[in-house]
Amino acid sequence: MNAPHESGAAHPLSRRHLTLPDYVVQTWAIFVAAYRELNARKLFWVALLLNGLVIGAVAAVGIDEKGISVFGYELGIPGVTTRTFPDGQLYKVILSALGVGFWLSWLSTILALLSTASMFPDLVTGGVDTMLSKPIGRGRLFFTKFATGLLFTALQVSVFALLAFFVLGIRGGVWELGIFVVVPLMVVFFSYLFAVQAVVGAVTKSPIASVIVTLLFWIFIFLVHSGEQFTLVGRTASGLEIAGIEAKLDSLKTEEAKEGLRKPLEEQRAADENWVLAHRIFFGVKTVLPKTTETAGLVTRALAVAADIGEEEDAEADDENARRQRGFFRSQFVTERKLRGAIEEEMAKRPVWWVVGTSFAFEVVLLTLGAWWFRRRDF
Amino acid sequence: MGATIAAHPLQRDGRPTLRLMVADARSQESDGSTAIDLVDVTKMYAGRVHALQGVAMRVPRGEIFGLLGPNGAGKSTLVKIMTTIVRPTTARGTILGMPIGHRPTLSRVGYLPEHHRFPAYLTGRQCVEFFGAMGLMRCAERHRRAAELLDVVGMGAWGDRRVGTYSKGMQQRTGLAAALVNDPELVILDEPTDGVDPVGRAEIRDVLLRMRAEGRTVFLNSHLLGEVELVCDRVAIMLKGKVERQGTMADLTHDSRAWRVTIEGAAPAWCAQFGTASTDGSRASIDFKSEDLAVLQSLIDRLRAERIAIVGVRETRESLENLFMRLVRDVDGRASAVGASNVNSAMRAGGSQ
Repeated sequence: MNAPHESGAAHPLSRRHLTLPDYVVQTWAIFVAAYRELNARKLFWVALLLNGLVIGAVAAVGIDEKGISVFGYELGIPGVTTRTFPDGQLYKVILSALGVGFWLSWLSTILALLSTASMFPDLVTGGVDTMLSKPIGRGRLFFTKFATGLLFTALQVSVFALLAFFVLGIRGGVWELGIFVVVPLMVVFFSYLFAVQAVVGAVTKSPIASVIVTLLFWIFIFLVHSGEQFTLVGRTASGLEIAGIEAKLDSLKTEEAKEGLRKPLEEQRAADENWVLAHRIFFGVKTVLPKTTETAGLVTRALAVAADIGEEEDAEADDENARRQRGFFRSQFVTERKLRGAIEEEMAKRPVWWVVGTSFAFEVVLLTLGAWWFRRRDF
Repeated sequence: MGATIAAHPLQRDGRPTLRLMVADARSQESDGSTAIDLVDVTKMYAGRVHALQGVAMRVPRGEIFGLLGPNGAGKSTLVKIMTTIVRPTTARGTILGMPIGHRPTLSRVGYLPEHHRFPAYLTGRQCVEFFGAMGLMRCAERHRRAAELLDVVGMGAWGDRRVGTYSKGMQQRTGLAAALVNDPELVILDEPTDGVDPVGRAEIRDVLLRMRAEGRTVFLNSHLLGEVELVCDRVAIMLKGKVERQGTMADLTHDSRAWRVTIEGAAPAWCAQFGTASTDGSRASIDFKSEDLAVLQSLIDRLRAERIAIVGVRETRESLENLFMRLVRDVDGRASAVGASNVNSAMRAGGSQ
């Protein structure tokens, strides 16, 4: 216990302002402690194991010019060959649908939320006094702690991406570096939900409450998304139907023939107003909320999974599908292909910055409120 | 340079902000002899509860300072304001020459909170190193200090086990090591012997004395009066959010300085003019209060002149415990009197309506 300041020299840690190396030392220490916390949690290793199993399952699928197989056992599914799925497309589809759409977007995220649930309640109940007595600002502590909470997902998804990269390369013959885009995108995806969990956890000091509120919030944004998509389909179909009726009216020569279509046109226009209003409401609400589904969907876009795989085969069945769907939308002029094309066009109009930017805006506002509360509290 | 008076950068009454205060403090640095210089610290909870009411306190460097007070006196609130854990309503004063709340200064302060809880997933060594890093220490230095301090607090053999497996006493020792890791000039300890066995307490006392010998200032917040009396150079007694008394042990008990002269046989009648005489078997004792040694000398001279055998002369002072209890009773009495007076006033007011 030597005391260097005894000699009258300034204390080695004496300073008027913190410097960049000071920030680095503190931030690194918090991240290392967070990593040790994850390491100590069984759930982290369970999730990592499940990651390996998911990728192992994808790797077990084989495809050649004859068909598809699992662990070398031919499944005998017609049409699924390297001709229809060239250049590792099958693996991309499976990784996108199963790996990202199901595993990373749902199960892995729930495991991550459970694993990190106690992080903020622990911060405000256990070690907060010792931490705040150190030269670290409350705001910085809050945001750094939040960033360490993303470590779980970052590590899990990095392992997933690395394994997927090798599966695509070895089994699919495509060395797709683009697969690594899944890491930032899934971290961003998780951060939307973790922001809610962090703020609720800090305020309520309860890990259980933070998980429940976050899951309920997730369900809520999923319902809003579903509502928005449903009303988008309705609005688009309605618009196409109106356009179809109007085109038909133009093509008709006699007034008697036209008269039969005027009433349906009026009815369709009235219905269209309702669809437009309903969609506008859902879209407005959705705009200010995090867009989890779309963010996960960006991975699919990045993986360049061709949306029109099997398009030729579908085309033949299209009229039948369209006829079946007309009952629902009372449509005479909208085919499924037209509808799908119009919706895809609409969705493509929503750029990445809108998806991520508006979601981030929500996250930033929420975290700023959380940090403001944390800065003002007495512990 | 004169006394340093600076407001807490986080205080809530719209006083100067951190940046202003840092600049201000440059022109206000203390002469270096004072570790803590509180001028006016106030904390009001929820707009009504006055936890601290204009606390003023001065702690010289290189001493062990004990803060005493019953539960709810505001001791922990004061400590937490000094370490920026609680935001003050007003806080004028300095810590190590800088305004209270000046963040970089905290790298020179060590703090062991009451009921602290370290992350259970870290080992004792990792804990100490982690708090070293939070206190801005570089890697090699904190490795070295952690190893050294774990040995000092008797945790060297347990340093690589997880904190979750530690007993309360072991956690307290580890906490002490963590508080000292940044080689602090000022160490603030809130109930450091809480949950520690008697041997451990004695060891912690030794550590405190070593810290003083090394020139550090120790601010000790404790309920244990005996412990405080054993190690502290100065003491402040807080009651109901106010500092009732502060000073060296001698200062505090100055008024209670008394003498006891024990003689063989019965006390002569004239002894009553000096003090109270009491008999115990074949001996008698004469007790009296006086700061003037001439009084004692005159008593001894007269006893010797009358050939009365003097068995012993002893200086007595009020113990810290007695002083503390007396102050608590006084303040409670005052509060009761004020309460009763308020009730009477209210009744009178009610009666006159």
